[in-house]
Amino acid sequence: MVTALLVVLGFFAGLLGALTGIGGGVLLTPILALHFGIPIRQAIGTSLVAVITTSAASSSVHLQRHTTDIRLGMTLELATALGAAVMAYLVGYFNRNALEGLFAAFLLYSAITILTKGRKGEPVGDESAHAPNEISIPPYEPKRYPLGLAASLVAGALSGLLGIGGGPIKVPVMYIFMKVPLMVATATSNFMIGVTAAASAIVYYRRGDILVQVAAPLAVGVFVGSLLGARMAPRINTKVVVYLLVGVMFYLAGHLILHLLWGWL
Amino acid sequence: MAMNQMREPAFDRAVALVLRIGAFSCFFVMLTGLIAGLFVRGYIPLEIERVGVLLMLATPVVRVIVACFLFFWEKDWKYGWISLGVLVILMLGSVSGLGEH
Repeated sequence: MVTALLVVLGFFAGLLGALTGIGGGVLLTPILALHFGIPIRQAIGTSLVAVITTSAASSSVHLQRHTTDIRLGMTLELATALGAAVMAYLVGYFNRNALEGLFAAFLLYSAITILTKGRKGEPVGDESAHAPNEISIPPYEPKRYPLGLAASLVAGALSGLLGIGGGPIKVPVMYIFMKVPLMVATATSNFMIGVTAAASAIVYYRRGDILVQVAAPLAVGVFVGSLLGARMAPRINTKVVVYLLVGVMFYLAGHLILHLLWGWL
Repeated sequence: MAMNQMREPAFDRAVALVLRIGAFSCFFVMLTGLIAGLFVRGYIPLEIERVGVLLMLATPVVRVIVACFLFFWEKDWKYGWISLGVLVILMLGSVSGLGEH
């Protein structure tokens, strides 16, 4: 029964992730911690497996559309992988309440950012997922590599700390500061997420913080959900999905904060 | 030359193939483990699922190895060494967790 529930949860996280480009990790970690009673550190480790699944499934599509800048991705991966591996190691020394508080803050920040972008009419997530197969990208040359590497280090550290992909940091930095076209920035970020998440997931696994019996049904659901979401994306009114996602994020952040306060009172 | 003009479709296709094979094989292995769990009692279904999870963790690592090999094959030394650096960080990550399980 629980296994079936995990497959369904993974399916909806993958579907929402593919439709909005946000990724499933940000939803899976708090749901596993709050509704399945899994300790937050194991919830983070387990959701990293789902993050890798989403990245592998979707970035293969982007690569075939030639919207991914592999050289840029590999360069920035030096920093994301380092940040993720170091933070995954250090997370063993963090206390549970601090992790839950950080996650609630990150959920609130992401939800508000998505809402603000939506109001300005900017694309919310992975716009290359909605693109046709033949795409022309104007010539460009990435700039400000030191800034990109520093931001990638932070994104990697956040991934290792919270079990997320780090896309909300990498995409704006590549697009705004490194002058990479948005479509290439989103596809390249997606490409990097797999290695970033793997760098920390390996540390979590060795520490026994990935629950295989939870990770497997989640990953199966996420895989089917993200493939279906990628197919549905061009035909769906993403604004409705984005509002649904923001609602879920606010709910989970509120629930985490209440959970923390309940523990303190 | 602009960065995106340097990309070769064959390179993209090779890396995409690695990711696709990895993602689909993990999916089928994990699904097999879940289905086995319905009919078989004991540790076998869990071990099959573990193989699926380990395959999933290995997929990005194999992707880095393939990219590294392709860069060196094309004599693109700079990115070959960068890929090797990423691979070393991934390997160090697995060593740093040793003994904590």
